[in-house]
Amino acid sequence: MRRALARHRGALLLFGAAALTPVVVRDAYFLDSLVLILLWGALSAAWNVAGGYAGQVSIGHAAFFGIGAYSAALAGTRWQQSPWLGMLAGIALSLVAGAAIGYLSNRLRGPYFALSTIAFSQVLLIVASRWRGFTSGSEGIPVPFRPGFATLGLGHVAWVYLALAVALLYWAIQVWLERSRFGYRLAGVREDEDAAQALGIPARRLKVIAVTVSAALTSVCGTLWAQYVGFVDPFYVFSVDLSIRFALNAIIGGVGTALGPFLGSILITSLETYLRATLSGVQSGFTGIYLIVYGTMLILVVRFFPDGLAGLAARLRARRAGAHA
Amino acid sequence: MLALERLTKRFGGLTAVREVSLEVRAGDLLGIIGPNGAGKTTLFNVIAGYYRPDEGRVVFDGRDVTGRPAHEIARLGLTRTFQIVKPFGSLSVLDNVMIGALTRLPSTRAARADAERVIEVCGLGPHAAARARALPLALRKRLEVARALATRPRLLLLDEVMSGLNPTELVAMIDLVRRLHADGLTLIVIEHIMAAMMRLAQRIVMLHHGEKLAEGAPREIAADRRVIDAYLGEEFVLAEA
Amino acid sequence: MDPARPLGRPQIDVVAQLGVSTILLGGIYALIAVGLTLIFGIMRVVNFAHGEFLMLGMYLAFWAYTLLALDPWFVLFVSIPLFFGLGLVTYVLIMRGIIHASHNVQIFTTVGLSIALQNLALVLWSGDFHTVRPWHAGAPIRVAGTAFNLSQVVAFFIAIALTVALFAFMRWTHTGRVMRATAQDRDAAILMGIDTDRVYRITFALGIAAVGAAGVLVSPLYAIYPQAGLQFVLLSYVVVVLGGLGDMVGALIGSLIVAAVEVAGSYWFGTAWKEIFYFLLFIAVLVFRPAGLFGQRGAETLGA
Repeated sequence: MRRALARHRGALLLFGAAALTPVVVRDAYFLDSLVLILLWGALSAAWNVAGGYAGQVSIGHAAFFGIGAYSAALAGTRWQQSPWLGMLAGIALSLVAGAAIGYLSNRLRGPYFALSTIAFSQVLLIVASRWRGFTSGSEGIPVPFRPGFATLGLGHVAWVYLALAVALLYWAIQVWLERSRFGYRLAGVREDEDAAQALGIPARRLKVIAVTVSAALTSVCGTLWAQYVGFVDPFYVFSVDLSIRFALNAIIGGVGTALGPFLGSILITSLETYLRATLSGVQSGFTGIYLIVYGTMLILVVRFFPDGLAGLAARLRARRAGAHA
Repeated sequence: MLALERLTKRFGGLTAVREVSLEVRAGDLLGIIGPNGAGKTTLFNVIAGYYRPDEGRVVFDGRDVTGRPAHEIARLGLTRTFQIVKPFGSLSVLDNVMIGALTRLPSTRAARADAERVIEVCGLGPHAAARARALPLALRKRLEVARALATRPRLLLLDEVMSGLNPTELVAMIDLVRRLHADGLTLIVIEHIMAAMMRLAQRIVMLHHGEKLAEGAPREIAADRRVIDAYLGEEFVLAEA
Repeated sequence: MDPARPLGRPQIDVVAQLGVSTILLGGIYALIAVGLTLIFGIMRVVNFAHGEFLMLGMYLAFWAYTLLALDPWFVLFVSIPLFFGLGLVTYVLIMRGIIHASHNVQIFTTVGLSIALQNLALVLWSGDFHTVRPWHAGAPIRVAGTAFNLSQVVAFFIAIALTVALFAFMRWTHTGRVMRATAQDRDAAILMGIDTDRVYRITFALGIAAVGAAGVLVSPLYAIYPQAGLQFVLLSYVVVVLGGLGDMVGALIGSLIVAAVEVAGSYWFGTAWKEIFYFLLFIAVLVFRPAGLFGQRGAETLGA
């Protein structure tokens, strides 16, 4: 037990700090940032299951996010149901969509698979933005705020703890992937499918499972996000930019590591908040600038720091341990 | 243990494997030789389930496994290594072998213990924590064997595990294969290095243009006219003599 | 000016209209795709940022027209060397480092480039939709019951001319032959003393020049905004996959097919749903025919 605590002290620190924050800080803006950091982290962790641990790089995860968001919004506005029900519907739909994408991953290699995920999310975007009768088309759907847990109408502090719970769960799932039999075999599939098959691993099946689970996890966060932000805009929730954002956090933070997506989210979301504060007033200018920064970071990190922040941290730790020895 | 019945595999107009029939009994060490392009690796690919044969059957342990997917065949106890080694590059040697052990074992703890044992047997002890892609070729070849071994195969197919090794490494690898065989493992070995083959194999099969040209004890094969003409060459005969 | 808008005439006219629309559109797609298939065929890198260079070409035409009142056809001549240079710079700064890298590195590097370029446009020129309306954009040409505007027709001919020029270059010049050799077998090329770095440099520069020129050509035909490249990217990949990687003739045929699907789709379902067709087509092609129509896997030939 003590060893486990020691091994995960980074996570303990981060999540512990997040848990204590609402006790210490009352500023709504700060708490809002915290919720976003946690949600983005969770979303990247969900992406990480497919992209980092299974090696199936998707740039279309917004498809699942949008499904989750719309499920909640439609459940609330069209059928007067609880968003939790919408979440379940979203999960079901995402499982199907995820299985379809998983099937594609078995037929297409890396870049082609990535392209096909973009195509898929764009198809959903077009459908959602044009199907006026069902999804209110390009106007989007405002999500009604009804106070209470059943309707996910919560205050800032409650949102922090809800987001934290989800983040912890997703972090734990990733840790499980690092230590379980399934996770080890998945790593083998990621590294070399043929070799994995020679060891009795049903590579294709594992890939589909990973992508499907990743889809469902993403969808859950889509639902939560829609309830939190209060508005579902098809051009945003299904956008390629969003899909890239999920991958970005994980890559910057350390793809294929449990804490990586959260580290990445802290860095990126904080950067975004900072830039928004300093450049406020320059509307589209601001949006563009931080994305230029992200694009450049992506290029640099992927080439020169492939292990991301988590990798840097590990190297620092190793060097310090070496110095003490 | 293994029976191949008139296996044929075509790629478009090319017949890579033509009506190859073979039998391997438990405890055998069968060698397969032949010039490049003779169909040796293709044969392995068909046996192990990576390719579906166009004609013929593969019968393993009395079970017809023709056309079954590779991972199912591996689960049944038939494991193969790759001619161009395929380590799980960014994982450690231990992790690599663990993944092999997880074929049979349900928990990572048991797999780790098993893997450590196999690593010792294969002489990879000092490198257990090293990242696979950082290993030199000789150790990678050893890792390939160790990982396959960890799956507790009943039949192991080794595809040119000796190629690219220097004399010292070669001796060590020959020794390893011999030990594995002595411990009761059934093996089919593809090799170009005749000196090794002669020492290890009980029986040798020669493939040429996808067909089984000759089969027999090492001495017979070395003396076989057809084998000499197609593959060995006169110098070899002289050296052995 | 939607090429597929029906004119309310008898059936044959409609078919003729659609047919010519297809060809005109196909020619332009061919120019975009041909550069991409070169890059992909020779360098084996999937460039997610390809559409952004098209977008930059469109903006070039827009600013030249707005600030200097230069017609896009004139800008075209300037754009080719300009984008060739841009391609060289991009290659040296970014692409060179990833040619031998893993798929993931390639994907995310070019994705990063794509975001950076898109948002550079956004920051510099805002997200407003712009248009370029030179005199020829509204000049109708009526032939045998079909009607088009001059922009489309000239764009088509120029696109074809450039494509043919590229084709001829690949076929009959020494450099072109060297490039094709490298596409067929990179290792053999190195052993033969071919400077692969130079080959890649030229390949990428040519590909970018082609797509930049295409951007200038299509500027009168489409709305210009920072994300204009996205739909073209996917579309060109459909073409490239259909035609077989690296196969220039295949790219031409693929372009026609994609154009046909788009034109027919627009006609039957209306332009609002037009975009969905190439995405669906893309997925369909990848699922059913990833090796292309002509069954070339990672095509080794380059149309000759």
